[in-house]
Amino acid sequence: MSEALLQAEDLRVHFFTAAGVARAVDGVDLSVGARETLGLVGESGSGKTMTSLALLRLVPPPGRIVGGKIRFEGQDLLARRRRAMQAIRGKRIGMVFQNPAHSLDPLMTIGAQLVEVLRWHERLTRTAAETRAADLLALVGIGDARVRMRQYPHELSGGMKQRVCIARALLCNPVLVLADEPTTNLDVTIQAQILDLLHDLKDRLRTSMILVTHDMGVLARMADRITVMYAGRICETADARTIFRTPQHPYTRALLESVPRADRDYGPTGRRLPAIRGRPPDLVHPPSGCRFHPRCPEAGEDCRALLPLEFPIAPGHTVSCLRRGSPGVPT
Amino acid sequence: MPDTQLTAPRAVAIPRRPGLWRQGWRRLRRNRSGMVGLTLVGLLVITALLCPVLAPYDPNDQSAMIDYAANAPPNRAHVMGTDRMGYDVASRVIYGAPTALAVGVGAMLVASLIGTILGGLSGYAGGIADELLMRFTEFFLVIPVFIVILAMVRLFGIIVVGTPLENVPYLNLGTIIMLLGIFGWPPIARLARAEFLRLKQAEFVEAARCIGARPRAIVFRHILPNALPSLIVVVALGTGGAILAEAMISFLGFGDPKAVSWGQLLYFNYGTLRVAPWASIAPGLAIFLSVLGFNLLADGLSDAFNPRTRR
Repeated sequence: MSEALLQAEDLRVHFFTAAGVARAVDGVDLSVGARETLGLVGESGSGKTMTSLALLRLVPPPGRIVGGKIRFEGQDLLARRRRAMQAIRGKRIGMVFQNPAHSLDPLMTIGAQLVEVLRWHERLTRTAAETRAADLLALVGIGDARVRMRQYPHELSGGMKQRVCIARALLCNPVLVLADEPTTNLDVTIQAQILDLLHDLKDRLRTSMILVTHDMGVLARMADRITVMYAGRICETADARTIFRTPQHPYTRALLESVPRADRDYGPTGRRLPAIRGRPPDLVHPPSGCRFHPRCPEAGEDCRALLPLEFPIAPGHTVSCLRRGSPGVPT
Repeated sequence: MPDTQLTAPRAVAIPRRPGLWRQGWRRLRRNRSGMVGLTLVGLLVITALLCPVLAPYDPNDQSAMIDYAANAPPNRAHVMGTDRMGYDVASRVIYGAPTALAVGVGAMLVASLIGTILGGLSGYAGGIADELLMRFTEFFLVIPVFIVILAMVRLFGIIVVGTPLENVPYLNLGTIIMLLGIFGWPPIARLARAEFLRLKQAEFVEAARCIGARPRAIVFRHILPNALPSLIVVVALGTGGAILAEAMISFLGFGDPKAVSWGQLLYFNYGTLRVAPWASIAPGLAIFLSVLGFNLLADGLSDAFNPRTRR
């Protein structure tokens, strides 16, 4: 991988709540290369959504980015002015959301919402913007684009709304698309269609993508590289094949174990689908040492005391686990 | 979900489903009290617009006095009778409609402007600005508004004497409208704040932010239009309230002597209630029906736009 398109270093997002400071993202490093799909995976509350929002500098209050660096196309995003960020959002970085039903304004027509973006970012005339919007709707597989543009979001099905959202994210030819669980709220059959669409468009438009999900199946289909997050920290980063074939971190292994497989019998005669025991940690009072040690089958005394750092065990494969040779720092 | 439902064939025109406003209108159409309210308000508006055509006499025509026809009961010449000053009651009541409407609409324009700006700012900005603005709003809520308005109307009427302002037509009425607006905004501000708070965190607003929308576009294109349905309900309610308030001010003799207002008609005529009850009953009924109309309309609108809050 040559020069990364986007690179985050030691990114930290803290939430200043009444109960204390929740370290939602606690020192995350990640990078996406040109035309690459990075999968960001973890359970609910692992900080994957906050990481993606932090990349756009849109962490909702009471959260704040308290540390780290984000380099995007050679610029430091955290040092840019607010206005300059507005010019990046939607233009250089497009975003697709989890819930298509709620991410479109119910009182505006589809066309108006697409044209709006183009007029902010591209200074197009109305007719030119409308043509471009119609082209993109056609590209994401919406027939009768001109008719659809005059409709309101509630007149469209969930899958179609997500297609509109994808079109909106791609309107200005972004170099990077952030997709935050783009298929979680859709029917399984529609999910496959939307994933195929994203995959196909990413190739055709030569964009990079960060795909945030908790679904390993989605990643198997989409991702070039995968970063596994747990409790605001990164467990393991490697190319997709390595993650699925030879996962190293106990959490990655447990995550893969808990995905049902077609070649195994989980029925009354077979074994139970293994689940990861325990609950995700409280981010205000995270466990000492390795965040995962209370649930880890391999945990030892040292895991309780030392926080493992990311350690390259092979080219392009980093793991943070004391059992795999990571250095640890006392907490 | 019925599994018998077929997907529509491609060639067929895509069916349009009604939007939020049209859905609201449909629900309002089915709402009996809302429609009664709309009819009453509609009547008020029509009367106000067509008053020179509808009124049989000039509002200042006291000629009945000369014919010894003051305090006459309803008859062929005067359908609602005449009052103690020889005015035709029907004409006076009809000419009261534009005054009432001007007061209601004017006061609510002022109030919704102040209320939406302050409430919206409060809800959108949050933090210390929200805290300060809401305490300010509460301060306005606890003021005994009525007494303050009476004092200010009288005071302003005295100050103005001898200045060029004195010649402004309906200055007194204008003062009342302004004051009702200036003191009527807190409920609107509170609702606007709540709506802005809710919509600020709505996913589509979040989404707009993520695609590079500027704060101005977010507020005016996304938040405000979505807050309007709820705001309209309090504005409709407030309009009725403003009409009633102006009637009370005028009834106490603080109204505009040059404007024909229902409250003032009551003030002039309640002394002859036993001799000429029609002269009091007619404007009283007009106030009652107008305020009732706005309240029923507000009720209907609230059911139409927030169908889930009831039942």
